[in-house]
Amino acid sequence: MSTAMNFGSKSFRPRAPDKGAFPLDHFGECKAFKEKFMRCLRDNSHDNSKCRLQSKDYLECRMDKQLMAKEPLEKLGFKDLMDQPSTEKPETKPQG
Amino acid sequence: MLLPLLLRECCSRHGLQVASSVRSCIRTPDWRELHSLRGPSLLRGQGRGPLDSFTEAFLLRRAPSRLHLQSRGAKGRKNYRQAQEEEWRQRNKTVLTYIAAAGVGMIGMAYAAVPLYRLYCQASGLGGTAVAGHDTEQVATMTPIKDRVIKVTFNADTHASMQWNFRPQQTEIYVVPGETALAFYKAFNPTDKPVIGISTYNVVPFDAGQYFNKIQCFCFEEQRLNPKEEVDMPVFFYIDPEFDEDPRMARVDTITLSYTFFEAKEGQQLPLPGYS
Repeated sequence: MSTAMNFGSKSFRPRAPDKGAFPLDHFGECKAFKEKFMRCLRDNSHDNSKCRLQSKDYLECRMDKQLMAKEPLEKLGFKDLMDQPSTEKPETKPQG
Repeated sequence: MLLPLLLRECCSRHGLQVASSVRSCIRTPDWRELHSLRGPSLLRGQGRGPLDSFTEAFLLRRAPSRLHLQSRGAKGRKNYRQAQEEEWRQRNKTVLTYIAAAGVGMIGMAYAAVPLYRLYCQASGLGGTAVAGHDTEQVATMTPIKDRVIKVTFNADTHASMQWNFRPQQTEIYVVPGETALAFYKAFNPTDKPVIGISTYNVVPFDAGQYFNKIQCFCFEEQRLNPKEEVDMPVFFYIDPEFDEDPRMARVDTITLSYTFFEAKEGQQLPLPGYS
C-alpha cells in the first residue's frame, strides 16, 4: 500500500494470490524439503533456476500432506521438470 | 387583468390609444379621422369600428394582422404581447427541458463512470491494477526468458504491536521472468498466547508490481501461531514474461517484495484486494 500522497505517480495495488493462501505447516512435515531447497539456494548463490527441482519436491510434499490443493505440475510451471525423476527420494512418487 | 381590458375597450371605443405603461388614454389619430370625417359624430356613430375587424379576426381564429397594429391599437397589441409571452413560455419550456435532460445525463454518467473506469484501468494497466487477460492458464504455457535475470529481495515487517519474529529465510533470489520461484519466510511466536496474524505485501518499484504474480502465499488470510511455535511460510510466485517487453521496465533489475504482519482479532476478515 502506498503511503505517499502524490497523485501523479502510480501507487501499488496488492492483488490476491491466484490460488489463495498456503495453510500453515504447523507440524513441519515438509521441513526437510524446505531445508534441501534452502541449501541448494545457498550453494548456487541464490539462483532460482538451479533449484527448481527442489522447489518442485517441496510443493509435491505439500500436496501429499494436504497442505496444498493438488494441482498438475504444469499448472505450477514445472512443465520442463515433469520428465525428470525426483532427486534422492526415499519412496517413489508418481509423476504428473 | 380585467382593468386593462376594460380600459382598452373603453379607449378604443373612443378612438383613443392606451399607453400601456401609463394605463391612461392617449388620443391618437384614427385612420378614419385622418382620411375623412372628423368630429365626435363619427365616433359616436362608428364607435365600434376599430373593434369589428379585430373581433372578426379573433373569432375566425386568424392572427391579427400586424399592419393594423399601429392603428388597431390596444387589442392588437395585447394579442401580440400574448403571442410573444406564449413564445417565451414555449422557449423557456424547451430550455428547461434541455437543462433537465443534461442534469439527468450527468447523474447517469456519474453512475456509469465506475464500471467504465474499472474497464479502462484494466485495459491500460494504470495504477498497478490487474491487467485484463492475466489468467492462471498462463503459468502452464509461459516460457522463461533466460537472459533477463532479476534479483528479488525480501523484506519482512511487523506492526508495532505484533510480537512475532518475522523474517525472510533468504535475502535475495535471482529469477527470470516466466519461471516460477519459491521463497520462504519464517515466523516465530515468542509469547505464551496464540496469536493470529494477517499480512499484506508490497512490491517496489510500483510499476513492476503488476508483473509480480503470486500463485500462492500466506497473505490476506488469518494465520494462527500457537505459543512458542515457529513455522515456515512459503511464497510461490513468478514474474510475468511480458515484463521483458515493457519499455518502462527496461532498467528494472531489482524487485523488492515486502511483507507486513498485523495482529488480527478473532474472526476478522480482511477484504481481498481487487475488484472481485
